[in-house]
Amino acid sequence: MSLSLQILQHVPVNNYVLLAAMLFCIGVFGVLFRRNTIIVLMCVELMLNAVNLLMVAFSAMHNDPGGQIFVFFIMAVAAAEVSVGLAIMVLIYRNSGSVDIDLLNKLKG
Amino acid sequence: MESLLWIIPVLPFIGFLINGIFGNKVPRSLSGIIASVAVLGGFIVSLLLFISLLGDENLSFTSKYFTWFHVGDLKLDMAFMVDRLTSVMLLVITGVGFLIHVYSIGYMHDDKDYSRFFAYLNLFVFFMLLLVMGSNYVLMFVGWEGVGLCSYLLIGFWFTNNNFNDAAKKAFIMNRIGDLGFLLGMFLIYQTFGSLNFDEVHSNAMTYAYGQPVLTTITLLLFVGAMGKSAQIPLFTWLPDAMAGPTPVSALIHAATMVTAGIYMIVRANVLFTLSVFTPEFIAVIGLLTALLAAFIGLKQNDIKKVLAYSTVSQLGFMFVALGVGAYTTALFHVVTHAFFKGLLFLCAGSVIHAMGGEQDIRKMGGLSAKLPVTHLTFLIGTLAIAGLPPFAGFFSKDEILVKVFASSPWMYGALALASVLTAIYMFRLYFVTFKGQFRGSHHQEEHLHESPPSMTFPLIVLAILSALGGFIGIPEIFHAPNLISEYLAPVTHFSSSYSARAVSHETEIILLVSTLLFLLVAIWFVYNKYVKRQAIPEPDEDIAGFGKTLAGKFYVDEIYTYLIEKPLNAISGLGYKFIETGLIKGVVDGTAQVVGALGLGIRTIQTGKTGTYLFAMVIALIAFMVIKFMI
Amino acid sequence: MNTLIAIAGIGIVAMIADILRIRKIIFPVAMAGLAIAAFTAVSDWNTNTRYFNDMMFFDNYAAAFSLLIVVIAIIWFVMAVPDLKTGNHYSDKSALVAFSLAGSVVMVSFSNLAMLFLGIEILSVSLYVLAASNKNNLLSNEAGFKYFIMGAFATGIFLFGVALIYGACGTFNLQEINAFVATNKSDLSGQMYTGVLLMIIGLSFKIAAAPFHFWAPDVYEGSPTTITAFMSTIVKVAAFGALYRLMAGCFSQINEWWTTVFIILSVVSMLVGNIMATRQSSFKRLLAFSSISHAGYMLLPLLTLSDLTGTSLLLYGAAYAFASIGIFSLVSVMSENDDESIDSLNGFAKSHPIKAILFSVLLLSLAGIPPLAGFMGKYYAFYAALKSGNTSIVLIAIISSLIGVYYYLQVIIAMYKPTGHTSASFRFTIYQNIVLWTCFLITLILGIFPQLIIGWL
Repeated sequence: MSLSLQILQHVPVNNYVLLAAMLFCIGVFGVLFRRNTIIVLMCVELMLNAVNLLMVAFSAMHNDPGGQIFVFFIMAVAAAEVSVGLAIMVLIYRNSGSVDIDLLNKLKG
Repeated sequence: MESLLWIIPVLPFIGFLINGIFGNKVPRSLSGIIASVAVLGGFIVSLLLFISLLGDENLSFTSKYFTWFHVGDLKLDMAFMVDRLTSVMLLVITGVGFLIHVYSIGYMHDDKDYSRFFAYLNLFVFFMLLLVMGSNYVLMFVGWEGVGLCSYLLIGFWFTNNNFNDAAKKAFIMNRIGDLGFLLGMFLIYQTFGSLNFDEVHSNAMTYAYGQPVLTTITLLLFVGAMGKSAQIPLFTWLPDAMAGPTPVSALIHAATMVTAGIYMIVRANVLFTLSVFTPEFIAVIGLLTALLAAFIGLKQNDIKKVLAYSTVSQLGFMFVALGVGAYTTALFHVVTHAFFKGLLFLCAGSVIHAMGGEQDIRKMGGLSAKLPVTHLTFLIGTLAIAGLPPFAGFFSKDEILVKVFASSPWMYGALALASVLTAIYMFRLYFVTFKGQFRGSHHQEEHLHESPPSMTFPLIVLAILSALGGFIGIPEIFHAPNLISEYLAPVTHFSSSYSARAVSHETEIILLVSTLLFLLVAIWFVYNKYVKRQAIPEPDEDIAGFGKTLAGKFYVDEIYTYLIEKPLNAISGLGYKFIETGLIKGVVDGTAQVVGALGLGIRTIQTGKTGTYLFAMVIALIAFMVIKFMI
Repeated sequence: MNTLIAIAGIGIVAMIADILRIRKIIFPVAMAGLAIAAFTAVSDWNTNTRYFNDMMFFDNYAAAFSLLIVVIAIIWFVMAVPDLKTGNHYSDKSALVAFSLAGSVVMVSFSNLAMLFLGIEILSVSLYVLAASNKNNLLSNEAGFKYFIMGAFATGIFLFGVALIYGACGTFNLQEINAFVATNKSDLSGQMYTGVLLMIIGLSFKIAAAPFHFWAPDVYEGSPTTITAFMSTIVKVAAFGALYRLMAGCFSQINEWWTTVFIILSVVSMLVGNIMATRQSSFKRLLAFSSISHAGYMLLPLLTLSDLTGTSLLLYGAAYAFASIGIFSLVSVMSENDDESIDSLNGFAKSHPIKAILFSVLLLSLAGIPPLAGFMGKYYAFYAALKSGNTSIVLIAIISSLIGVYYYLQVIIAMYKPTGHTSASFRFTIYQNIVLWTCFLITLILGIFPQLIIGWL
């Protein structure tokens, strides 16, 4: 067993869960209360990273590599997602000249 | 014989396809003929079936085509079944249906959507046949929905009528409430009996003891379905509004066939109804109230079709009273005679409207008897029949209902007899005001008054003959002649008849018969006095003078009539119209729409279009789920 | 498995075709590829093969859902091809659609939560782009953006659930999780239950079940019509396939626990969807709300897991998807006129009498009028819910479906009204005619012979 894993396992897993949950909630609040789409996007990333942290922690706890593999998947997908999201944002900026999330309310009812 | 069954519904369906797909490419002269011939073919096959069913009592034809679906223990076949009950309905649907199709050829002649009209009409006949021929409740429900759909399509056939949207909405909501009852009843039947086939359900039900609560629930739910389709309190007001459609539609759908589907359904399920407590009494009371209320309202209507519409509602009430007292065959007898005379009356009304260039207000008519001799005569026969004067058809069926009702409850008899007298009053009022006296319309209309073409008068004459003589298929027992229809239908209600074996003595029956007749004659005389004698100036007829001379205290009687009968009647009629029709019913219908609307508005405030709001709502919902699952 | 390869192949060929400037071959290749995919899905029947170290499991359920998805996709392609061809980026859009399809096949055949996640993301990321693909239209951009932000947010929630379950069980494999749940049924931790709840919520976003439906009406309205058709049919079927596979494969032991969640989702969806649909004037938006209500009906069979659940989902999905695609072929014609309001249909029956009948039949099927496919789907769904003893839920379902008939009928009435002041002309291409007739025939046939689908699973 490697040293890093030992260090990771030394901290009780509850602390990781708590940290991840806090990170996740910060992400959620950011998504809810920020109006700039770029920051909203970053907050979504924060949520995903909270999940990554949780996965890695559980992976260490269970001594199972599956969780870490999953993290790679999440990172790859998140990168793809962000690139698509930024592209859409550029499009919106070109058409409306703003990236304010609340200005996008033409579709409603 | 089994191999012929499919022909009956398929012919009108082919007619629908031809007229529907090729539309206006079908020559105008041809599309009406195709539609009529399709129904006529069905009539001929129905007649064959009817004859071959005459022999053996327990004979019925069943023809299974394929298994429709099979889930777990529920197996439903796509199968037709024709027993004696169905064969009577088939004759009415295809027979009266054929006549109305022929009539429509003349009536709709100038309409630009000629072929579309016949396509809908044939589709309606198809679904109606499906409704009565299906061998299980689901197939019946298919027909039930189908006729409803065609009815909306045909009510809205003339889109120019602005009230159509309201009428369609009303018809829609009321029928939905009814359908809900039917559907739930079906689910409960399945849960109780494990099947939805008529044979299995009914033979299974026969083993149940009288008064099981589940049977009461099932039958009440089914009756809610019948209420919607057959326009009973509180779901009746859609029917008068449905008169927005072309008149042949009113005759076929809203008088002769579709609205009697509820009665057919109850007769079909008579085993269930006989075995349940409370439901029959409930049906009788609702039917009675409907018959009375609609008759009262009918007194004050001035639209020729509205009067007939309310009279249809009232007559349907009569049938439900008969069902309620367990006189299933009698109810069906009235369905048959009602199809004849009400179909006739509507077609006559159509002929009048046709001649008047679309005018429906009877106050602007009058004195039409000279210009429209055939229509006048046939309308008179129809009026005599619906009023219940011997020897016309309505007399026999209505009398049989009254006698059966008397046997079970004299006070109900009294109320129903009143309704029957009211029927005579408003029908003769309609007749006199329309056909007697002087013409009150515009000069232009008077010039164009003409008798309808033969394609329209031919069905009138045939239906008039049927309305005049049709009653003899059910002669009361006291005349010592065989009651053909009740004998023919006896096997259908074999089980139920052992339960409701109440009868009245012949003396009582004669007294009832004579007293009812007397009341009717007095009532008709009143109406005659009021609308012909006092309003027609000068009195044209020597007869009237002779009749009038015998009345010394004429003025006095008129006063009594006015103060004791007419005023209260008008008051009740006005009250019924105001509170029940406009207040209660409108309240319920509009209320439903408003509640849905308000809810929609409420939810809509969240659908702001702002991403932030949506995310916020999602998080709130997430937290709510957490609270529900972990805190509570 | 070969189904997946065939579909992914279409995407790659479409992209290469753009480089080689042979765009003409895209449609034939797509058709051929989808035909091969359908064929391989059929040939996978009863093979029950596991792939990639048990990451994917092609059982009959997966084969049936893959086949349904591929068949819908074929019809969708025929409907969409005139629109795709005339617009920009024909090949890119085709490729994205193909990848999105690949994602949906993964979603119905996963046997590992990682594959479920990948399937959802492959499907979604392509769709974000497609929703915004009408580049110069701000509404389309807005739709894409809303879909993206909320989709990513839902993904986060879903992943958090996955992580919690992983923490409790130590595995992502469906069978192992199932075994874990079965052995520790009595003392499962709150962490596990929270994970299950979060996963359900993440997926109910994808199926557009209320109260996680807010994105659906806006995105459906703003996206190009063909893409809306794709989202409301294939995506919905795939998401339901995934949801059932997850619940039946992993958490069938704790059925009682999550049933209440589904009951709430189902009831709220039916009511919100139907009530809101009555207030819409845009046909596309009406269909969006109606799709929310259909999600509510489709949740009914999931209330109890039996051998009937899968087939009734399949039947409902098929009935709903074919009727919807047929109707969307009308909406796509309306979109060309830039008027998607219901009123613009006035006079339609006059100019297209036969089509009016066909569309009416499709709408009535969605409304659940017998004897059409929609009625059969509802019938089985209600039957399944009734069997699980949720009589009151079925009552609500029936009432809300009656509301549903109301607004579908409003569309039909609009078609049969005479022309208003503006007479819109409707130009149907041969492709749309084919789609319309095919959907009509399938709707009729499935209504009369539901056995065709019911007998299989």
